[in-house]
Amino acid sequence: MQKRTKKGKWDHIKAFGFFIPVLLVFTIFVFTPFFKTLYLSFFEWNLISPKKTFVGLSNYIALFQDPVTVKVLSNTFVYILIMLVVNFIVPYIMSYMMAIMLKKGQNFYKGAIFLPYVISLVVGSILYLWILNPVSGPIGLIARTFGIRLPIWSKTDGLVLLILSLITSWKLFGYNFIVLFAAVNNIPKEIIEVAKLDGISNWHIFKDIVTPMSSATGIYVLIITIVQGLQQGFTPIKVVTQGGPNYGSASLTYQSYHEAFTLYHIGKSSALSVLTMVLFMVLLALEFYFVERNVYYEN
Amino acid sequence: MKIKEHQLGLHFLFILTVLVLLFPLVYALSNSFKTLNDAFNNVFSLIPREFTLQNYIHVFTRLDFMRIVGNTFFISTTVTIFKIITSLLAAYSLVFFNFKGKNTLYFILLSTMFIPFTVTMIPNYLTISSWGLGDSLIGVLIPQLADVLGIFLLRQSMRGIPRSLIEYAQLEGASTYNIITGIVIPLIRPNIISTGILFFVNSWNEYVWPVLILKTKSKFTLSLALQMFISSEGGTDFTIAMAVSVMTMIIPITLYLIFQRYILDTFTTSGVK
Repeated sequence: MQKRTKKGKWDHIKAFGFFIPVLLVFTIFVFTPFFKTLYLSFFEWNLISPKKTFVGLSNYIALFQDPVTVKVLSNTFVYILIMLVVNFIVPYIMSYMMAIMLKKGQNFYKGAIFLPYVISLVVGSILYLWILNPVSGPIGLIARTFGIRLPIWSKTDGLVLLILSLITSWKLFGYNFIVLFAAVNNIPKEIIEVAKLDGISNWHIFKDIVTPMSSATGIYVLIITIVQGLQQGFTPIKVVTQGGPNYGSASLTYQSYHEAFTLYHIGKSSALSVLTMVLFMVLLALEFYFVERNVYYEN
Repeated sequence: MKIKEHQLGLHFLFILTVLVLLFPLVYALSNSFKTLNDAFNNVFSLIPREFTLQNYIHVFTRLDFMRIVGNTFFISTTVTIFKIITSLLAAYSLVFFNFKGKNTLYFILLSTMFIPFTVTMIPNYLTISSWGLGDSLIGVLIPQLADVLGIFLLRQSMRGIPRSLIEYAQLEGASTYNIITGIVIPLIRPNIISTGILFFVNSWNEYVWPVLILKTKSKFTLSLALQMFISSEGGTDFTIAMAVSVMTMIIPITLYLIFQRYILDTFTTSGVK
């Protein structure tokens, strides 16, 4: 008996010991920074000066009074909306088409569609910058033969948001597609066969049978689309437009970076990061709320 | 007959998707072998009028390119090895040990996937600078030594190992080290490989953090080197930029093509929850 508890205790120590490397890295580079950023958001500081001035909530107040913040929030909202269509709704429908309707070629398409996921978004941004160049790129030249002069997209409000979201989507599309496909493909085929025999249309099968039965994955992908979209979407913005024209393409993540490392407004940048964090936490809470309660579990 | 048309339409849609996604890669490859003149006057032909290696030669003479590739390789390899070891240990502990607060710990770790990088970038920049590691490769890789995604993916695959197998080995007096190297690793090898490739590729492509840390050109990684060739107006570096792009993509794409089955399986079978 004595020996047993001793062994139990030893196991306990070992179990925790195995976590030490991970916890060490996370404590130094994730948990502590998290609180430090929260702390910094109450100060005015320029990153270099030895003196930080406590300013209470004024960084937050300044943010909400700044017209740039309004623009950044609305840009972010547009980015999210476009990516939800391109990177969530479209791959969801296509995963249904592949799992239920398509008879051949699944493996080839899956492999090819996933490929951009392993490529750098810096590369992606550069490639699309050239392909979509309104003067000398192929798309611009085709348009010109039809007598259309394309605007310089990277300097056109609105259009710049669309193209930058498409570049980010180009990389992330394959991942979302594969994960959604796995969920849709897991639904027992008999259920769908029966529905088909009853003459139910594909659209209704998708809407009334497939989405409810794959909703745990569906919600996960929905949320990851927003979170990853804003995280990865930083790169094309930084590489192509630097937030321009006149903050016309700055997202929450980009603006936070810009305030910190271009303007050296550490307090304001931290406040923006905290706001982004709050947005992500709301999404996380939604995920738990839905996934834990109302949804059908695939497994 | 109707079903056949149906299939044709579907194939058309999927082929179109593949073309849209992969055209940029073909376009880059083709232009990297064109002369600048050719690239501008011969936009629609994917086959160069006069095949040239000049762009690639340029990359190697104008930059210390081997060094940049070496830097990227060094960072990605180190990061991958450490992430795999740290994730493997943590996942093993989660699956085969019981301890108080285990689920809470796992939950907290998973939640960190929802922390935007902007929340950690300023404090981490300060930490790395205060350790005297600013503008160094070590400074780039240190914050990346552990990864929740790895813990998640390896935990999923370890859960498939029968508990009785581990218990039997323990009764036989096998040490934890022997159990991990002799039983666990061989059983989940495909998952370790695909997780490792994912880590390697992500680190290879990493841009935000190196751009903050690295200032000296000789310490640049590929992503940063690429950035030197961008001018949105279309300048004279176009075909060289394509050559650098091709060389940046080639390693991730090769790894992906070799291990494609493992990688796709890891995402499809482990599911999400």
